[in-house]
Amino acid sequence: MKRRDFLKFIGAGGVGTGLGILFGQAIKPPGSKLIPYLIPPEDVIPGIANWYASACTQCAAGCGILVKIMDGRAKKVEGNPLHPISGGKLCVRGQAGLQSLYNPDRIPGPLRRKGARGTNSFEPISWEEALSEVTAKLKELSDKGENDKLYLLTSALSGHLGRLTDDFMAGYGSTNTINHDLFDYRNLRYANSAAMRLDAIPHYDIENTQYLLSFGADFASTWLSPVNLSRGYGEMRQGEYRERGKFVQVEPRISLTAANADEWVPAKPGSEAILALAIAKLIVDSGHYTGADASAWKALLAPFGLTYAAEATDLDKKKIRHIATEFMNTRPSLAIGGESISAYSNGVSGLVAVNILNHVAGNLGIKGGVRANDRDLFAGTRAKKVGPGIDALIRAAEAKEVGMLLHYNNNPAFTTPGTVKAAEALKNVPYIVSFSSFMDETTVLSDIILPANMSYEDWGDHFADPAPGYQVATLMQPVISPVYKTRSLGDTIMELGRGVGGAVAEKMPGGTFADHIKESWSKLYSQNKGMSASALTFERFWRDTLATGGWWPEGAYKEQKLSVTPKRVARHVSKEPAKFDGAATQYPLHLISYAQAGHLDGRGANIPWLQELPDPVTSVVWGSWVEINPKTAARLGVKMGDMVEIESPHGKIQSPVFLYQGIRPDTVAMPIGQGHTLYGRYAEKRGANPIEILPSTVDKRTGVYALNSTRVRILKTGRPGDLVKMDVSTDELGRNIVQTIAPGATGKVPPSSHH
Amino acid sequence: MKNLIIYIITAVIFVVTLGVGYLIADQYLGRAPEQPINFSHRIHAGDNEIPCMYCHSYAERARVSGVPNVQRCMGCHKIIKTDSPEIQKVAGYWDRKEPIPWIKVHNLPDHVVFPHKRHVKAGRKCQECHGPVETMDVVKRIAPLKMGWCLKCHGKYDVKNGRECWTCHT
Repeated sequence: MKRRDFLKFIGAGGVGTGLGILFGQAIKPPGSKLIPYLIPPEDVIPGIANWYASACTQCAAGCGILVKIMDGRAKKVEGNPLHPISGGKLCVRGQAGLQSLYNPDRIPGPLRRKGARGTNSFEPISWEEALSEVTAKLKELSDKGENDKLYLLTSALSGHLGRLTDDFMAGYGSTNTINHDLFDYRNLRYANSAAMRLDAIPHYDIENTQYLLSFGADFASTWLSPVNLSRGYGEMRQGEYRERGKFVQVEPRISLTAANADEWVPAKPGSEAILALAIAKLIVDSGHYTGADASAWKALLAPFGLTYAAEATDLDKKKIRHIATEFMNTRPSLAIGGESISAYSNGVSGLVAVNILNHVAGNLGIKGGVRANDRDLFAGTRAKKVGPGIDALIRAAEAKEVGMLLHYNNNPAFTTPGTVKAAEALKNVPYIVSFSSFMDETTVLSDIILPANMSYEDWGDHFADPAPGYQVATLMQPVISPVYKTRSLGDTIMELGRGVGGAVAEKMPGGTFADHIKESWSKLYSQNKGMSASALTFERFWRDTLATGGWWPEGAYKEQKLSVTPKRVARHVSKEPAKFDGAATQYPLHLISYAQAGHLDGRGANIPWLQELPDPVTSVVWGSWVEINPKTAARLGVKMGDMVEIESPHGKIQSPVFLYQGIRPDTVAMPIGQGHTLYGRYAEKRGANPIEILPSTVDKRTGVYALNSTRVRILKTGRPGDLVKMDVSTDELGRNIVQTIAPGATGKVPPSSHH
Repeated sequence: MKNLIIYIITAVIFVVTLGVGYLIADQYLGRAPEQPINFSHRIHAGDNEIPCMYCHSYAERARVSGVPNVQRCMGCHKIIKTDSPEIQKVAGYWDRKEPIPWIKVHNLPDHVVFPHKRHVKAGRKCQECHGPVETMDVVKRIAPLKMGWCLKCHGKYDVKNGRECWTCHT
């Protein structure tokens, strides 16, 4: 090698290394930023979680929750173990609440309508503009002297927010507060009030009962207070040092709750009330009922003989008699009436029948039966008595009698039957203000949107209804700062009230909504002996209450006698069966629309976790389905996953078939929740909404649209559906995994799987 | 012909050393990025002997040691050396209610969990990983922060489960 070449190599190597190092340093990603706090918040250590107590608002049950906050973000929600409703447990909707908080489709700030109504064309405006515009509109209506044309449409608001909106409406001079939720138990409240003179929903003591007879109450997934009742159910079935209670479910299809029962009793849809009354008659006739009014009961129940009931319900006489015997002889027993008995055209009668049954069996006012709930802590804070329903608002809107509408936290355009044309009716309202967090089918109709904080971002309180036998007041505190430019609804209402002036301004408390809650609680503290005894000063009490999540005098249950008299209920007892639209010859199948575990009334459909969650019964994800008995399907010539048309006299929708042995052959069922035309990217244009094809049948006593009030027919489309389910097959494919033995074959040896 | 071979060999050597140079830079050379404020650890931790955890207050309580909040800076500098242009910059951030956007010097990939708390509680000195920060005017990364380097130390101190994957990659 020449010297010159050697030097060349050395040079190349040196320059190469140097350039390599320079290049390596140059392309190193710029160090990311380290942004410190300007002023560190109290109690915050980066990466260390704090848990704050609050209340869940994903349904009306009011479970106490703990929210895990790390670095200012909400990371996880769990049940509050101290709280008597949730007891440390939480349902899937509560768990998924975080995805509504951080949902990318939340309305980020005030919006004003730009295009035609309902075309989803809005422009962002400032809060000052929004508040002054709504105030001006309120003044305008008041100047015209049309104060009573102001309507307020919300879900039943519990606690101080409910009382504030009441004060606002009263001060403004309007009586038109409409509470609506698809599942707000209006029929149950009405029936209990009529039969037992109870305003609050009583505590159904599943925990301590020995025999539970449920008429379609799907308490394992959605009914009333699912977490609390499911906890009680767990105790009843597997509690220590007690006999395992028996559980019988009457329902046309096997819901998650029915799947847990010892016996499934598929009474014919619409005949459940007759079954309840027939059982009551058997009990009275047997002499089990010893009340002085036994003869009056005998007379009232006389039409509900066993033969008649067996025919009406399509059940075996022996079966009905067997249930009656067990129900009266097992002490204590308990009957509850849920959706499938209350969702018919005569829903109230069904629930009254359940009350009668509990009365004659001696289950009222006892441990393990129906226990009355104490009066509310604050007058007027609990969700109120049965007032006018959504049907009243729709009729008023159609008649152009609504001058202005304030709307919050429900979606009647989605949850009322298609034939009612709620959206069309609301278009007659000259000015609609919405406080919604999401652009759904109802919110899109509004003229201006003033988005409220979610419960995780706001102060508030909740008074449980049903409570577990004693009062439960749960406090909500802002566990994170607002994610978007939203405001506390309480503050917005108060500001509007002050802006309007006059009587309504006088009714508005001073300061902020947070101040108002604290002040009101301090009054309560000084009046309530239990509260004053629990802490020396109010400040101390307030701190403790915020830390534990609320206040509840646990175990302070006061026995209260309850009864049903024949006189009170006579007008609700009739042999008239539930009405169904569509002639049986043309529309041979009953349609049951039920609340699905994750979506409830459709509010969960914009949460990807809940879309992804397999339905606990069918394992279907991301879509809807129609449950059809395999026998019916064979007759129709459809198989699993086929797209079919479900046609009622009022319209048709399409859905894939789910073959389900757990449904009566004369019935099909569809979950509610999907089929949104508008509700964010995860919900829109997915599945179908069975409420669309329902008639506008209401129970006249309550104005509740009956969900199970139509017959349908199934038409083949010849196309495959988009059914996605997580299980492959419910068939054991001849592997003899589940060995069964027929009741008659007792003593004989079942065929062995070993050959 | 012979010239061509020489050129090729030169080129190969150039490319190989270029790679070697890059690896050296990537593996062993730290960086001392320019910070929004010319903050000197030498003055604070060295000359004035302020303990590390007075400012990096989360080190013994959390995964991260924590950058001092602006309030902490102003706690002293409302009074001390207010005429210095660098301090005036800090005061500017404080007046504008803006946090100071410091640049990260020590960075770990996302698949590693490094809890300061455990290391501080085990009695390790900050300097064992961060070098003699109290002598630096501009902070520079000294340690490579690579897995081999971590394991060497875990072996030296006989850390319980110190060689388990899941101890750090959780």
